[in-house]
Formats: sequence, C-alpha cells, structure tokens
Amino acid sequence: MMASSYSAKEEDGHPSGAAGTSNSSAMKSKKPDNTAFKQQRLPAWQPILTAGTVLPAFFVIGLIFIPIGIGLFVTSNNIKEIEIDYTGTDASEPCYSCSDKSKGNSTEPTTPCTCEVSFNLEEPFESNVFMYYGLSNFYQNHRRYVKSRDDSQLNGDISSLTNPSKECEPYRESEKKPIAPCGAIANSLFNDTLKLFFVFPNGSKSEIPLIKKGIAWWTDKNVKFRNPGGNNNLTAVFSGTIKPVNWKIPVYELDTDPDNNGFINEDFIVWMRTAALPTFRKLYRLIEKKNSITPALARGNYTLEIIYNYPVDKFEGRKRMILSTISWMGGKNPFLGIAYITVGSVCFFLGVVLLIIHHKYGNRNNSADIPN
Amino acid sequence: MNAFLVVYLCILISKALVNTVLKYVWQSNPNRDEPWYNQKTESERQRNTFLKAFTDFLAFMVLFNYIIPVSMYVTVEMQKFLGSYFITWDEEMFDDELGEGALVNTSDLNEELGQVEYVFTDKTGTLTENNMQFIECCIDGHVYVPHAICNGQIMPGTTGIDMIDSSPVEEGMESEELFFRALCLCHTVQVKEEETIDGIKKGLQQCSKSSSSSVYISSSPDEVALVEGMKRLGFTYLRLKDSYMEIQNREDSIERFELMEVLSFDSVRRRMSVIVRSHTGDYYLFCKGADSSIFPRVIKGKVEQVRARVEHNAVEGLRTLCVAYKMLKKDEYESVCRQLNSAKLALHDREKKLAEAYDEIEQDLILLGATAVEDRLQEKAADTIESLHKAGMKVWVLTGDKMETAAATCYASRLFHRNTQILELTTKRTEEQSLHDVLFELSRTVHQHSGSLSRDSISGLSQDMQDYGLIIDGATLSSVMKPTEDGSSGNYKEIFLEICRNCSAVLCCRMAPLQKAQIVKLIKASKEHPITLAIGDGANDVSMILEAHVGIGIMGKEGRQAARNSDYAIPKFKHLKKMLLVHGHYYYIRIAELVQYFFYKNVCFIFPQFLYQFFCGFSQQPLYDTAYLTLYNISFTSLPILLYSLIEQHVGMDILKKDPYLYMDISKNCLLRWRTFIYWTFLGVFDALVFFFGAYFLFDNTTLTSNGQMFGNWTFGTLVFTVLVFTVTLKLALDTHYWTWINHFVIWGSLLFYVVFSLLWGGIIWPFLNYQRMYYVFMQMLSSGPAWLGIILLITVSLLPDVVKKVICRQLWPTTAEKIQNAEKQLKPDGFSEFTPLSSLHSSNYRNSDRRNQPQRRSDQLSKKLMYTHWGNHDYCTFSSLSVSDSKSNSSSGLETSV
Repeated sequence: MMASSYSAKEEDGHPSGAAGTSNSSAMKSKKPDNTAFKQQRLPAWQPILTAGTVLPAFFVIGLIFIPIGIGLFVTSNNIKEIEIDYTGTDASEPCYSCSDKSKGNSTEPTTPCTCEVSFNLEEPFESNVFMYYGLSNFYQNHRRYVKSRDDSQLNGDISSLTNPSKECEPYRESEKKPIAPCGAIANSLFNDTLKLFFVFPNGSKSEIPLIKKGIAWWTDKNVKFRNPGGNNNLTAVFSGTIKPVNWKIPVYELDTDPDNNGFINEDFIVWMRTAALPTFRKLYRLIEKKNSITPALARGNYTLEIIYNYPVDKFEGRKRMILSTISWMGGKNPFLGIAYITVGSVCFFLGVVLLIIHHKYGNRNNSADIPN
Repeated sequence: MNAFLVVYLCILISKALVNTVLKYVWQSNPNRDEPWYNQKTESERQRNTFLKAFTDFLAFMVLFNYIIPVSMYVTVEMQKFLGSYFITWDEEMFDDELGEGALVNTSDLNEELGQVEYVFTDKTGTLTENNMQFIECCIDGHVYVPHAICNGQIMPGTTGIDMIDSSPVEEGMESEELFFRALCLCHTVQVKEEETIDGIKKGLQQCSKSSSSSVYISSSPDEVALVEGMKRLGFTYLRLKDSYMEIQNREDSIERFELMEVLSFDSVRRRMSVIVRSHTGDYYLFCKGADSSIFPRVIKGKVEQVRARVEHNAVEGLRTLCVAYKMLKKDEYESVCRQLNSAKLALHDREKKLAEAYDEIEQDLILLGATAVEDRLQEKAADTIESLHKAGMKVWVLTGDKMETAAATCYASRLFHRNTQILELTTKRTEEQSLHDVLFELSRTVHQHSGSLSRDSISGLSQDMQDYGLIIDGATLSSVMKPTEDGSSGNYKEIFLEICRNCSAVLCCRMAPLQKAQIVKLIKASKEHPITLAIGDGANDVSMILEAHVGIGIMGKEGRQAARNSDYAIPKFKHLKKMLLVHGHYYYIRIAELVQYFFYKNVCFIFPQFLYQFFCGFSQQPLYDTAYLTLYNISFTSLPILLYSLIEQHVGMDILKKDPYLYMDISKNCLLRWRTFIYWTFLGVFDALVFFFGAYFLFDNTTLTSNGQMFGNWTFGTLVFTVLVFTVTLKLALDTHYWTWINHFVIWGSLLFYVVFSLLWGGIIWPFLNYQRMYYVFMQMLSSGPAWLGIILLITVSLLPDVVKKVICRQLWPTTAEKIQNAEKQLKPDGFSEFTPLSSLHSSNYRNSDRRNQPQRRSDQLSKKLMYTHWGNHDYCTFSSLSVSDSKSNSSSGLETSV
C-alpha cells in the first residue's frame, strides 16, 4: 500500500543490463544525488513538548526560581535607602524660597541660593553609601535631546571641538563661537551642589566627606570621554570655544583636579549618559566607610545643604536626593525578587495542573485509537 | 497572508496616528513641548503646525514600519525558491525509464500543493500508460493467458499458452483455433513494414525486435492489441493481399482466407463483422463486439461461462470484447450479399437500411469466447488515487474517451469502488427525462445521506459512508453550463456543484479540451474557492493545466507540451502522491509557520518601541540602537526561520505517505486562519509587554550594578533587545520538531552571533560613526547580576504561555499529527527515526482496506502473490519497527500487487 521506493516491477521487465547500462551515463548526470540533505532525510532529534517532558522542567524552574526570588527579595529588603525631595514647591518646604526665585529668571540666577533640609536616619547605613540625585518629569530620553551631542567632540577630537556636529543645534554656537561641550544634554547639566552634614546632638555639624570619583563608567571616563590635547592646559585648548549658555563656568573649570576636569569630569559624564525614563536618578557621590567598625552613616540627624541652581518648576519636575546602600544586586528594587517568586510559584502551580491533566487524560490518549 | 498584511498596515497606521495625536495633546503644554533644557531650533519652531504633524506622523511610521515584515517577503521568496529544489532533488520522483526527475517551473505554488481539494486528471496517458495490452481470452469458459507480459513488452520467443483452468480437451481445440482465426480475421488492422513507419507513435504497438519486423496499425488500439495477442498465441496475421488475408498458424504454415465483406464498426451497433471464405470454400461470418451487443444474438455456445468471465473482467477494468461466428452456406452468403448491396445502393436512408441489413445478417451466432484487453494503468495509479481520496481530495477524471471505457478505468484505478453508488448524468438519461428532473433527482439522492455524511467526514471515516460517483458526459455538461433562456442556468450550475460536492469521485467523459478548462473554472469559481490541481500529459490538457491553480504535467509519450505549460512536471502519475502528501504538506506547514512567525517576531520587536513612546514624550525616540534595528530581521533572527522553513518535518515522510489522512489536518488553510493569526499576534503583544514592562520595572529608579553606577536609555533598549532576540529564537526552537545539525547550527549560531556582534559593536569606538552611544553598553549590562537574572526571568515568562498552551492542547485536543508524534515517540524511544512505523496503530484498518482492495483480476494467477502480500503486510506491521532495511524490503514486496 505504501509507495516507498521504485517498485521492482519495472526493472524486472527489462532484459536486464542491456537497456540499463547503455544510457546509464546520461541518466546518472540527471539523477539526483542520494544525499541525506537532498532527500530530506538528515538524521534529526525530534523532541516533542508533552506534559511528560515539560512537567519536570516546570518543577525544576519552580524550585530554582522561588529560592532565587526569596534571596533577591530579602537582599532588596536589607538595602537601606532614604529619599529626600527638596524641590520646594510648597511654601512649607525649606527650599521654597530658592525655587520661587528660580521661577522668576530661570537661566541666570544672579546669586546662588542655598537651602538646608534636615532629616533623621533611624538606622545606621552600615556599608558604603551611594548618594544620588533624582529628577522626575525630566525627559532625558526625548529624541531631540538624546541626539543633541557630539561624541567626537567629547572624545577629544580637535576639529569637532571647533566645529561641532549639526546635531547640537540649537546649542551649537553662541556668540559666533562653537560651544564646548555642545548640545542640549551638556547645556542642561545638573548644577545643584549637595553637601551632607552630620548633626551632633549638641547642634554642631560635621561635614561628611563625599567622594566624587568612581561615579562614572570606567570606560566612559577613560575611553569615550577625553579632553582635547590631554588633561593639561585645558584653558588654552578650549580658548576658541565658549561655555554652554546655561553654564556659569566653562568646562575647564568644573574641577580643580586635572583628572576630573574638562570632558572627563565625572559629574558631567554621568549626566551625559541619558536616562531611559523620565523619572531617573543619577549617581552623585560616594560615601565610603572609614573603617570596618563604624558605619558609613551612623544613626542620627543630618542636614542636606543644597546650592539650589537647577530649575524644575517649569516642567513640573521634582528633585530628590537619595542615600542608598548597595548589594550585589544593585539598589533597592523588590520587583525582581517578587517577580521570581511569582514566576516560580506559577511554574510550580502549572506543574501541578499539568500533572493532574497528565494523569487524568494521559492514559486515555495513549490507548486511544487514532481516528482515520 | 495579504489579509494579515492589511491588518498590520492598519495597526501600523493607527499606532502612528495614536502617537501623533497623543504627542500633540501632550505637547499642548509648552513646557513639555519645549522645556528650557531641550529647545528647538529656529527653523523647527517656524515650521507649519500641520506640516509638523504630518512629518511626525511619517516619523512614527518609519519608527514602526518593521511591523510590516518586508523581510518576510524576501524570506518567503527565498524559501520558495530554495524549497523547490527539494522536489527536483527527490530521488523517489525520479523515473529511471525516462531518465528524468520532477521539474519545477514555478516556485510560487509550493504551499498550494498542500491545499489541493480538487484533482482533475486526464485519463489516457495520465492514469493509464496509453498502451493497450492483450490480457486474456476466454474460449468456451477456458481462460488463456499469454504469459510473460512485462511492462508492455513481449519477451522474445515466448509464444506459449498458459492453460489455467484445465487443459483443453479434444473438441476444445477446434473451437480454440476457430477463435484465434476469428480474431486474426475480424479486424481492420493494416500491416506496415517497420522501416517505413519508424517513429510513429500513436495507436501503434511496437513489437519486440526478434519476433517480427512488421507493425500493426489501426484506428483502434484495441484491435492492435488483439492481433498482437493472437500473435503471441501462435496465430500471426501477416497481410492483406489481393483481398486475401494471410495467417500464419501454429504450424508455421500460411492459411489464406478471402475477405468477402466487412461489416464495419459503428458505435450504435458496437460490433463489427467480417465474412471470409476459407480455402475449403466455407463461408464464415466472424463477429466481435461489446458483450451487450453480442449476447442477444447468440444462439449457441457456453454463454453462461463466458458471460461470467466477461463480467469478471469488466469489473477489473479490462476492456472486453466477445467473439462469435456463424457458418454461412453458399446460398445464405449470396442472399447476404444481395441484402448488403441493395442497402449500399439505396439512394435514401442508406444508413438506416445498412443498419437493418447488418442487424439481419448478424443473427443466430455461435459464441466463441471473449477477449480482455487492458489499457494498462500506470503503476501505482490506483494506489495514488486511493491516497488522494483518503487525503480528502476529490478526484475528477476528465477524458475524451467514451463512458464505458472511462468507467472501467475508473474502477480499475479505484476511483470508483464497488460500493460506490454511481450517479449518471449522461445524454442517455437526459434523453429520457429532462435535465432538470435528472438534476433534482440526483441531488435528492445525494442529500439523503448528507446528514450522516457530514458526521462521518468529521471523524474521517470515509470508508463507512456511502460513496457517490458521478458520471457526466460532455454534451450534458455543456447543457448544464449553457445559460437557458429563462435564466435558470445558474440554478443548474448550483445544483450540479452541489451534487459534485457530495461525490467523492466524478468522471467526465467525452470532454473537449476546452470543456476541461471550463469545468476547472467552474469549480474554481464555486463559493468555497477550493484549490484545484490539474494533471495531464497531452496538448489537450494544456488548457486545464493553465486554468487550475496548480498545473502538473506528466512527461509522457505525447510530447512535452503539457510539461512545459505546467507549474510542475513529474514523470509519472504516481509521483503526484509524494508531491502532494509529502512535499505539499511540508511546504504548507513550513510556510504557515514562516508567515506567522514573521508577524510574531516583528510584533515583539516593534511593540516595545510603541510603548516606549509613552515614556519619552512621543518623540519618536527609538528604543534600540540603529544597528539592532537594521540587523534584527537581517541577521539576528532571519536564518533560523529560513532554515526551519526549509527542513522542518513535523511528521516523518513515510508516515505522511502512509497516512494520507494527515493531509486533511492542514486542509482549508487551517494553519493560516484568523484564529491562529490572532493567537500569534496576541502572543507577540504579550511578549512585547513582558519585555518592555519587565525592563521598565527592573530599571525603575534604581541601580542594577553593584558599584552604584547607573544605566542609561541605551542599556534599557539593549536589555529589551537581548530578551527579544533570545525569546524569539527560543520560541522557534520550541516549535522545531526536526532538529538536524543545521537547525542546531543556525539557532545557537544566531544567538551566539548576536552576543558576539554586540560585544564587538560596543567594544570599539567606531571611527566612522558620529555617535558612540553603544560603547560598552552591552558589556556593562552583562557585568550586572540583576540584568542576567532579569533576562532569564523575562525569557522564561514570555515563553511560558506558549509552552503551556502547546502542552495542554497536545494533551487535551491533539491533532492527528500530534498523536502520531506521540505514537512515534512511544515506539521509538531513541528518538532517531527515519522510518517510523505507524502501522501498528493502523494495522487493523490497513489490513481491512487491503483485503477489500486487493486486485481480484487475474486472481488465479495472482493467488500466490496475494498470499505473499498478506504475509508482507502482516509482517510489516510486526517487524517494521525493527530496522530500516526490513521495512523497506517489506513495503516494496507488498507493492507489487497494487497496480
């Protein structure tokens, strides 16, 4: 019944040999090769997703995911984090005066406005503390904004320094001079200065040392961002250029440390890495543990001193300062842990459901005739 | 596919529109439109709002355009082009005799081969070899078979006779020789020397070289076959010379008969006669004709035995003729002559008078016996037709032959079974009743069973239900198609189609070539728009080959016109089976997966971008880097699906051939229905949501690194993209049932390529780029633990629903193919199966059908063979799982009987 190969019938009939050999050479050239590939008979592994094979996988996934999830969740919960919003939109807030003023003339505040926010740490932050500033409703991921930079200029290219890319428009030239660093991202560099003081019970303050190096990606700092003509004598190199319109100081005066000045200033580099979402935080400073006994931040009262420059009221933004410890899995984010636990449980549950289905219907299927 | 594209186009436009509108709603606040940190250039500000909106709309269109998978068209074309090579390469479709394999003239239709619902086939040269063959004669109930007939050729030097029923007794010899003489004399065959007619093909029986140098030519191939047959039985018709017919008898002596009269053949009488005078001076009238026209005129002879034999032969699909004679005395002959002459000389009504004269002369005959001639079916034609039937296809035979012959062939080729109820719609019937009445009556008959019919067809048990076969002839067909004056022709057509729909087999005889095309067109235009396939070998089939969706040409004896005008050309009719059941099936499932998968992967790709617009101020910010956008369809995800669509086999080739029912699994385009399409689209949307919001919550206002540093938007996009590429590729891996090394290579290779490319792309400051946004992004991402965990989690989550759906569907509502896969798995735990036996599952069923369909003809002769076949089948059921070689040999041994 099944036609599989040539039937032997035809060949029997021939006076064998005579006809076969005479035109076999012509035939062979046309005859398709009998290779596994051409005959679609390659050896193959043929797995099937059945309840039987998937069941163990589900249980295994469940068994792996739930512990991971619990681990992640616990880790995330152990992370200490405090967030202080210092925008000052409400009159009761300490920075209201500053923000009110910045409402008036946003671009060029004449005198720097300083305000202080006090907060209390109920628990000590044992390990190294990371200080972030956070902005919300700030669209760093806007298309016009994201592309408004010149990476070759930032990489120290001299010709780009004097002739920045068109992408930087309208922050490309000012007063007929090329802007360095050009573009909207650089122009809107976050320029609030944050200082942290520990308030002793007697009222005296001690400033907590903030480390400003090591906040940017190593590759950014060392490869992607470079000062034109080396790190020395930046004033001369940048002499043909002008500072971005919103900046108060030129790029070569960002820091006194030559290793953190110019384009390789880490605050600048951090800012230049545009955030993915309109609410974001960026690493500002590190607070290192002095020794293994004392916590990085002890329990007690603290004051955050802000030199308030950065206007956010216009776009209804918020400004925050975040202090956070870090684990191996990063900052506080219960999502991953919860997600792992959920997925693990779902897998486990599905495994049970499939087990029931398998037992209830499996036998029936295997014995049932295939209807034709 | 095109309908799906339209849907996606609508989705694209609506996405772009929604985003544009939202953008302007959102931007109505100037602080959002142009915050102090992100100002527009002068020229941007001055642009007309309407123009701006329009360019925004276009920009969104560009951003989302990947949802219309342009690359799909490229891949589909490549798949079709490359895939068609598998047909050409197929060794089983190679014919040793012709020295040619299948030809593919167009690669556009590969998947249509899997959707065929109607097969229109030519008879002569397609189902049959167009090669008449004398099979046996029956003299007084004794059956004589010239043996050693092989493939239409006569073995040299074998002129013996096999006496099967009994050895002839003495008085038998006399009638036997008379019978042979009758056949040698009663014909209109001409003899030609071989050299002069070298190369003439039609209606001509080539002798083998050794026996004779002359060739017989006649208008009827049957006569040639008979005379040929006689030659093999020892009586050679030499020539007609000076109105003497010369016969060389068994003793090699030449007998001469004077040909007195020829009462020529006509289709009303359906017989012919000759009157000859032997050397002894006796007058003989030899008459040969259809049984129905001979038996009533016979007064003597073993009518019952012969009739039984004739009926037996007719059922076997052999063309039978009966031979009778009578002796005429001199005076009788003279009166006959007078009668004939007066009729011939009549001035009017000559034909009528001739017929009357013939009628009178051909009376009181003595039955000699009957002959059986076969227009040999092509090998495995019956098997092929049966498979096509089982596969749910309706087979129509369109032929120019007359009804009886065609019907016999249909029986022989098992187009009609013995239990098929034949509905006739022929001129004969419509003469008695009006066409209208006949049509309504037939449709009533058909509908009586329609209730049970529909139920049975669902369960696929085609064997139990009443089969209907329709026979229609060309004249009736044209009156069915012809618009009548009262405009009710549409009605007739509808009724006709309704009848046809309920018939598993239709035979259209006496068809003109254009009518063939007409009937194909009629079915093509019927309301279900079935996919039609026409197969033929001759120039008269070209019109129907061109008309049908898929045209297949047979590289036959009648030139290559059909093969050249067809979409596919195959050497033999039997190759149609593999073409449709295996190649067609594969191409269909492959292309179906290809199309659906392409839509799916592009939804997965683009939907996150759409979602991202809500978080970036509708600014057309792409989520992924340009390189990723470009390469996603070109290199990261293209090869696995292309290779999948070339080599996927969900069920083994041999099973597809063994179980034609599987073809019904994919009928009516069921893998590309809206339901599956919507399922895939929703799966795509779900996955996209998982990717995007998974990444969103992962990035939500926190750091992912252990050194506190933050990731930017490009890391976000890269994370989504990584999950995307892995998910989409692994989804295909889950769908793959046939993992060859090529699949392993392309699937894991693509993933590896993605990783390597990303490392490279982000590892260097590329001097020719004016942005370095991807610099070290991928590496930084990989250096973060939560990113890894997040990627694994998101891939798991997005694959989970599909796996669950698959497992549950397989468990609770398995398709036939899936059941077979399960069975395969059980029988072959080692997993490497090329020949996977399903026969154990089907064995009872197969045995039944085998027994029923065993060829009964020549049963005595074949009885030994039948035993062998049965043994072979049983054997196959039990042993075939043992080894490849076993099943191969068994199956081929079982095959010999199937022609």
